[in-house]
Amino acid sequence: MITREAVLTALKDVKDPELHQSIVDLDMVRDVAVRDGHVTVDTLLTIGACPLRETIVDSIKAKVSALPGVRGVDVSLGVMSQEQRQALIQKLRGGEASPRGRSTFLGPESATRVIAVASGKGGVGKSTVTANLAAALASMGHKVGVLDADVYGFSMPKMLGVSGRPTMVDQMIIPLEKDGIRVISIGFLLPDENEAVIWRGPLLHKTLTTFIGEVAWGDDLEYLLLDLPPGTGDVSITIAQTLPQSYMLLVTTPQAAAAQVARRAARMAEKVNMELIGVLENMSYYQPAPGADPVFIFGRGGGAELARQLEVPLLGEIPLDQSIREGSDAGRPVVVSTPGSPAANALRAAAERLVAVVPLPAAAVR
Amino acid sequence: MPRKMPTPLEIGSVAERQFRITWSDGHESVYSWHRLRLHCPCARCKGEWRYRPAPLTAADIPADIRAMAYQRVGAYALRFVWSDQHDTGIYPFNLLRFDLCECPEHESSQSSRSPQSAQSEGQ
Repeated sequence: MITREAVLTALKDVKDPELHQSIVDLDMVRDVAVRDGHVTVDTLLTIGACPLRETIVDSIKAKVSALPGVRGVDVSLGVMSQEQRQALIQKLRGGEASPRGRSTFLGPESATRVIAVASGKGGVGKSTVTANLAAALASMGHKVGVLDADVYGFSMPKMLGVSGRPTMVDQMIIPLEKDGIRVISIGFLLPDENEAVIWRGPLLHKTLTTFIGEVAWGDDLEYLLLDLPPGTGDVSITIAQTLPQSYMLLVTTPQAAAAQVARRAARMAEKVNMELIGVLENMSYYQPAPGADPVFIFGRGGGAELARQLEVPLLGEIPLDQSIREGSDAGRPVVVSTPGSPAANALRAAAERLVAVVPLPAAAVR
Repeated sequence: MPRKMPTPLEIGSVAERQFRITWSDGHESVYSWHRLRLHCPCARCKGEWRYRPAPLTAADIPADIRAMAYQRVGAYALRFVWSDQHDTGIYPFNLLRFDLCECPEHESSQSSRSPQSAQSEGQ
């Protein structure tokens, strides 16, 4: 005999596709009625125009009809009232205790590892590295988010192949998601993607604090990668002053001019007490053909030397490869588009080393 | 790696007569409100590029000055809201731990230092 409790237990496994939490925990299930093996689930959507309503209905039906003794499932959809939505937002922000407008990972107990990808010099492939590390981490089964902090020069939408407009639940922004990577970028909020962002510092600051505090990243998020703009300006300062705990990964090319500027970013990390976790050397060499001698276009060993000076590990040396550029332009990071290529292997290995250097807290391993 | 930045394990209340911080390296610091305000590291008080105000002196600060509130800034500093409305100073932990501490141990080694020598990095 099927019971109401059995249905509710089954529904605990159904997650809201945007909020990544159980619809039961989110109080989206208002009522469950069982009559002669027929189950009716009364569900409340966060907003009436929820683009994923069909997904929710389908997952509810799939879960409930799998229960023994169920002969039919009906799902009725309603919409939350303003008060119910407020309660939900409160929950997403980490409960009553947390100050208004704070993401859960702004708290000291957060399990989310926030890693800022920085370089100092521009053009060394920070964004490409960020996109590929995110894709590699996701393929390893981690819950990954990417915050495109390069507000003027945003490129994450293009490189990860994500477009669209994020859903807003009142003041909370739901990140877009593709291949298990949650992404937020100013590119999603502009009238069109060719729009230029021509702002002074205070607006940058506001955008960044919104991305950090007002985006529902989900409290199951394990790694959040921040694609920083080059240099140590407004964006970097806002990150340093907003996050109670974060790590910095330095990307450089082998050439001395890049490594020297990267050292200044490391100096900033030291001043603001961000832990520097390693150096990743990009564009390390070019191999014209399989088996051919590598050509060290940008010089050799700059990344290793930088890592030695800073006393942090060198997480990898990524070769120049046309497939990297093609993957980025096509919105499919090379670790996904051409797995097994030398570049993809090097990036994947770097992601594995990253996890070794910044392990998840034991409590977060589920 | 350079030495790890000490961070506060316990921070005293603004309601107390002196401000206290117990640090991750075990040190216990005490501060008088007046001297903390006098050493405000902000650009307005300490100056910046092409702006060099006369250094604050004890006479510039109300004798009964105190902090009304403080907040943590990122992973590296505290920011105070003072009873004279001033609130732009961001005090890095290194400044608080190594330069401004007024515990007896520091007092003896620092009595010869002028306020300027404790100047922190620009904010």
